[in-house]
Amino acid sequence: MDFELSEDQETIREAVRELAANFDDQYWMEKDQAHEFPAEFYRAFADAGWLGITTPEEYGGHGFGITEASLLLEEVAASGAGMNGASSMHLSIFGMHPVIVHGSEELKRENLPRIVSGDLHVCFGVTEPGAGLDTTRITTFARRDGEDYVVSGRKVWISKALESEKILLLTRTTKFEDAPKKTAGLTLFLADLDRDHVDIRPIAKMGRNAVSSNELFIDDLRVPAAHRVGEEGMGFTYLLDGLNPERMLVAAEALGIGRAALRRAVRYGNEREVFGRPIGMNQGLQFPLADSLARLDAAELVLRKATWLYDHGKPCAREANTAKYLCADAGFQAADRALQVHGGMGYAEEYHVARYFREARLTRIAPLSQEMVLNYLGEHVLRLPRSY
Amino acid sequence: MDWNLSPEQDAYQEALHDWLSDVAPQDTVRRWLDAGDAAAFEKLFADGGWAGVGLPEELGGQGGGLVELALTAEELARAAAPSAGWLATVLAVPALALAGHRDIAELTLAGETAAYLVPAESVPDEAPRLSVDEAGAISGSVPRVLAGGTAARFVVPTVPAGTRESMPSRTAEGAPRAAVDGRELRLVEAGVPEITRTSRKLLDRSRSVADVSLDRAPSRRLELADPAEVLRQAAARAAVLVAADSLGASGRMLDLAVAYSKQRRQFGVPIGSFQAVKHAAAMILVGVEAARSAVYFAATSVDAGDPEALLHAAAVKAQVTAEGSRTAESALTLHGAIGYTWEYDLQLFYKRARLDEKLLGTPAQWNERIGDGLPLV
Repeated sequence: MDFELSEDQETIREAVRELAANFDDQYWMEKDQAHEFPAEFYRAFADAGWLGITTPEEYGGHGFGITEASLLLEEVAASGAGMNGASSMHLSIFGMHPVIVHGSEELKRENLPRIVSGDLHVCFGVTEPGAGLDTTRITTFARRDGEDYVVSGRKVWISKALESEKILLLTRTTKFEDAPKKTAGLTLFLADLDRDHVDIRPIAKMGRNAVSSNELFIDDLRVPAAHRVGEEGMGFTYLLDGLNPERMLVAAEALGIGRAALRRAVRYGNEREVFGRPIGMNQGLQFPLADSLARLDAAELVLRKATWLYDHGKPCAREANTAKYLCADAGFQAADRALQVHGGMGYAEEYHVARYFREARLTRIAPLSQEMVLNYLGEHVLRLPRSY
Repeated sequence: MDWNLSPEQDAYQEALHDWLSDVAPQDTVRRWLDAGDAAAFEKLFADGGWAGVGLPEELGGQGGGLVELALTAEELARAAAPSAGWLATVLAVPALALAGHRDIAELTLAGETAAYLVPAESVPDEAPRLSVDEAGAISGSVPRVLAGGTAARFVVPTVPAGTRESMPSRTAEGAPRAAVDGRELRLVEAGVPEITRTSRKLLDRSRSVADVSLDRAPSRRLELADPAEVLRQAAARAAVLVAADSLGASGRMLDLAVAYSKQRRQFGVPIGSFQAVKHAAAMILVGVEAARSAVYFAATSVDAGDPEALLHAAAVKAQVTAEGSRTAESALTLHGAIGYTWEYDLQLFYKRARLDEKLLGTPAQWNERIGDGLPLV
């Protein structure tokens, strides 16, 4: 057993930390308050080549694994960029996995290098108002029309759609009721987000406001068959490959926010004096922070194990789900405690922990709720009957 | 709302507390518990006239209702006094009284125990019923009956022979099943040869249970207008009284923990000066005070026949006894290893509170009942 990061991994971590440090908490607070995409930050990471960390080398990337990608996003979040920073690039980093594995050579040549360079923004279009995590129940329909498909339907909670040129879009090409089985008849496209046929409306929300979350109204969007990813009807299967990596990356982001929050809490606990001594001397404050350190460290170990398993081609669903569950709880709890340590100042934007708190909360819901993780573990690991 | 114990109720609690301090000091109680001898205390309790509290005056009791019984439960727990016989009896007496068994009520006053023949871990009205034949003979076994080893008589929930005995007396919707299906409460004398009893040891020595087997034991039907309702009320009373017991044990554990934290010194200071210790004790106090408000509210509600009384009773059984268990854990932590020793009294109350959580239905079972009573799918 070896708990050491490789030399490459250490280098990645250091380099990301250094680059992210150019964008301080003030930057993120302003972007968040202005609901403005962090273009300068995104550009800096694209220029340094980070968006292509997992993209194969023949398409301009570095061909690293999920371990390296998770270290990247963890460090981004831990810099204070939080989910605003991570979400600005999250999908560029691993969202294209189905295209890389199942897309045509032409589709890859056309898109992957542009994603790596930062020129092409993409978003992920799966969830719908009538089908949250019950993915096979989506109704957005792609009708074949000659060499094209014509797509109509609604999507919701589509991160970054406002800023994106393309969308990895899950549709039904066979209606649920006509499909031989419920997971059949779904088809994936890498489609242009043609604003004449897609109305994109940002959702007012609690936090992570530098990156939009949107509702999409798709009306007769014409998509060339060449933009289909893989075979018709196989879209659901293609998505499955990406679920565990996505959970691991969000786990890494949650872990990063937890680290950022804990760092601020410790600093404030040492600096702030009440009753003639630093408030960090109070066991009522010190113990919860120490407890959070222990929980973050434990969650990190599960995450490292999960990404290691994935990168070694081993089954990792149990560990990926557990990592997302533990990192999200540990990260949110650390943010909550950091806020508490700051007292009234924690509620003020200028200390930034309120922003961490709002963003950390997101990781207990996305990409799937903690409860769905427990469903997975209960059903597929413990072999208990399906509970829902 | 302004709700307080009446001056009489305050006076009653104080008198019982003083009496217990006098006749049941800790070393005496320990002697009884180590010897497994509840009878000595039960005799003192009856001779002192305490057994009549909560029994109607027309039956020779001293009157008072569920609030007075809850005060009794709280004080008995504070003293770690043996109380299985008392609890079983006060739950069973309403059935006997309503059925007009004045003679038996008098025996109860004299200190004889009557008990529902249901497993101690069951919610009484959800327990399996024994089957009774046409001649009134009851057969079957019930494990872990509270005070089962010492009871003089049992109140037995029955179904006619041939009926599926495991069927609970409530429908899935929580409504009582119709009385016409032959569900009854019947009285059997425990001393008959058709009954065998095997005592079981509990970790908490201040309560006792026994497995009871009946092989065609003769019985009398209790003449009750609505036996299902009588049993349901017994369940509600059980919930309130076990919660009150947990309250008493928790209050005592808080006192012990606070006293110890002032006396025990580490790093040159009393450990009670550490915030983590203070906060833990403060959290116990929060639990105890919340429990006190809820328990006595529920006791009043059940006595007054409030439409939501059964939910109130379920809420205190679920909440207060679960909190009591957490209190036990926290009090043990505050004591460190000394709390783990046999010599130190904390173990008596720790075990008592832990049993209260499971006794006569777990928090999960009682929460289920609350769920049934709410407009949920």
